[in-house]
Amino acid sequence: MHDVLISWLANLPALAVPYALASLGLIISERAGVLSLGAEGLMLVGALAGVAAYLSFGGEPLLALLVSMVAAGVVSILFAVLVVLLRVNQVIAGLALVFFCQGMTNLVGTVANWSNRTIAGLHDLPLYPLSELPVVGRVLFTHDIVVYLTIPIFIAVTYFLDRTNAGLRLRSIGESPEAADAAGLNIYLYRFAAVIGGSALVGLAGGYLSVVSAKIWIAGMTSGRGWIAVALVIFARWHPWRALLGALLFGAIEALIPQVAAAGIRVPQYFMLMTPYLVTLAVMVWQGVRGRIGSDEPAALGQPYVREERT
Amino acid sequence: MSDREAVAAPLAMAEAPPPAGGRGWRLRLILEVRIDMPAWQQALAVGGSIATGLLLSAIILIIAGVPAGDLVSEFANNVFDRQTFQAVLVQAAPLILVGIAAAIGFRARFWNLGLEGQMVWGGIAATAVSIYQIGPEPLRLPVMALFAMLAGMAWVAIPAFLRMRFAVNEIISTLLLNYVATYFLYDLLYGPWKDQSDAYPHSAQFAGAERLPDIGHAFNAALPIALAFVLVVWWFAEFSRYGFYLKFIYANPAMARLVGVPVQRVVWTAVLMSGALAALAGFVIPSGTAGRLTQGFYEGYGFSGVLIAFLARNNAIFAAIVAVLIAMLFVTGQSFQIFYQIPFAMVQMIQAIIVMCVAASEFFIRHRIRLQR
Repeated sequence: MHDVLISWLANLPALAVPYALASLGLIISERAGVLSLGAEGLMLVGALAGVAAYLSFGGEPLLALLVSMVAAGVVSILFAVLVVLLRVNQVIAGLALVFFCQGMTNLVGTVANWSNRTIAGLHDLPLYPLSELPVVGRVLFTHDIVVYLTIPIFIAVTYFLDRTNAGLRLRSIGESPEAADAAGLNIYLYRFAAVIGGSALVGLAGGYLSVVSAKIWIAGMTSGRGWIAVALVIFARWHPWRALLGALLFGAIEALIPQVAAAGIRVPQYFMLMTPYLVTLAVMVWQGVRGRIGSDEPAALGQPYVREERT
Repeated sequence: MSDREAVAAPLAMAEAPPPAGGRGWRLRLILEVRIDMPAWQQALAVGGSIATGLLLSAIILIIAGVPAGDLVSEFANNVFDRQTFQAVLVQAAPLILVGIAAAIGFRARFWNLGLEGQMVWGGIAATAVSIYQIGPEPLRLPVMALFAMLAGMAWVAIPAFLRMRFAVNEIISTLLLNYVATYFLYDLLYGPWKDQSDAYPHSAQFAGAERLPDIGHAFNAALPIALAFVLVVWWFAEFSRYGFYLKFIYANPAMARLVGVPVQRVVWTAVLMSGALAALAGFVIPSGTAGRLTQGFYEGYGFSGVLIAFLARNNAIFAAIVAVLIAMLFVTGQSFQIFYQIPFAMVQMIQAIIVMCVAASEFFIRHRIRLQR
């Protein structure tokens, strides 16, 4: 039992990282008022681009992750043009982006022969001597570099949003673009930057899934994690640290699935696989019961900005 | 006063910087709102954007290795080749059903993105009727359809209830429930419902009385069923009292409630219809085409339903027309999958490109861009 517990906790951070990074990326763009439903698709782009770069550039995992970020950022420009410049309904554009990415990654992965090829990926980097500590060493200090970097990334983004001028402006654009515009801010610039920057983090989450966790690209491999990240942002009420907490919760659930089977508890496997989705739903209901969803939501979320225009 | 009169609004970001040292002039983009655009011009704009989307898709496919000539001939086959055209008609029936299912949901401002989950439950319920032999044989098909629709209504009732009672966003909840429904299907097909005769993960073949009959060697009964429901939905949305209420609620839910429209009941009716129609699509595929419950029979229909409703502007009659066009895309995609090993997901990509192009065209329908010195 003790071993099961330790191996469960030791698997948890690596499974939480994709949720954490994806929801952090979504928070950035949603704080600027752009509803990013496309996360599922951008994660797929990041995942494919990571494996593609790994296979093409001689097996450099960190370079591969960088390419994941760039690829998702580039694809998100398409989304930004649609919703920021052309004022397309953000739900429609987000959905279209997901299905565009699903189709495109499947097509490109097959045609370029990047599918179903295992790679060595990124190795763990035990933090010696901390990693030699009993229990804690395995749970906290025997991970890959992205797990360690997640905390500084969260600190940096929180600092940026809460403590810098640019972060304040970004948030003001998500709350009241009219006032921000009157104050001389360039709405389009900030929203573009927020979408692209946030999407880069979503892409990193996808790249982490393929390059670090699965060490393979399989079409559709994100299997709904992007949608869970979208729900996580609502659960986190657009606060990064709450999102990290939620990500840990989902990491814990995902890490539990193989442990239940290993412990010999006989639950049909497909019912086990349902749990992340059902827990997401339960979390959203819990949020609704408490009735506080609206209070922290960026006021202009999902609304295209139109200046002094009448129809 | 002409309908061309426009309200000018400078688009700040498009301002070009003044030339260095220039006394001169600044060039800027002026964005104007069109008050109105003639219907034929709008139709032209939408048609043009669909053509653009198809062209972009064609370029991507040619890069992916499909010879350009084959691309044209495969697509032309949809209309000119008798057999392919029959395949299109067979393929159209479930697409019409998911299209009107999405449309009726959207009319109630309910983003039913759970069409695939409802299809899965429709398929499961219909197959359960077949496996447990519920009802006398002559009535087997109607019973299957009825059970399918009830299952779809039950499945869509979950997110609908969660939204109305707990304000849970239905975009996400319906999508999440798709995964739950899919895993339940897998559990059945890899477990108790696995075909004992060949050990593949699909159900045993339906009996003859459980299969939709062919009509005149061209297509099966699914198409007339789908078209009948198009008429029902069209009547419901355009001519019935509830349809009128729906328009009111769509325009202004708060006002509708204030003047005494039974908002809850009307929205519930529309949402349950949406679930039932999607589930019916999940019934006609196993019963009409596959002859059994298979693992991926619902794949790709969810987004197609949304796309059809979007392009048809939630109108049932238009949805039927758009669905036939999307069916051509499906059939072409199936033959590309066989002949060029192009993954079927390509069909999704093309649909997404078309949606993006059409959505973007609305900007140009509503605005005019001028250069001004």
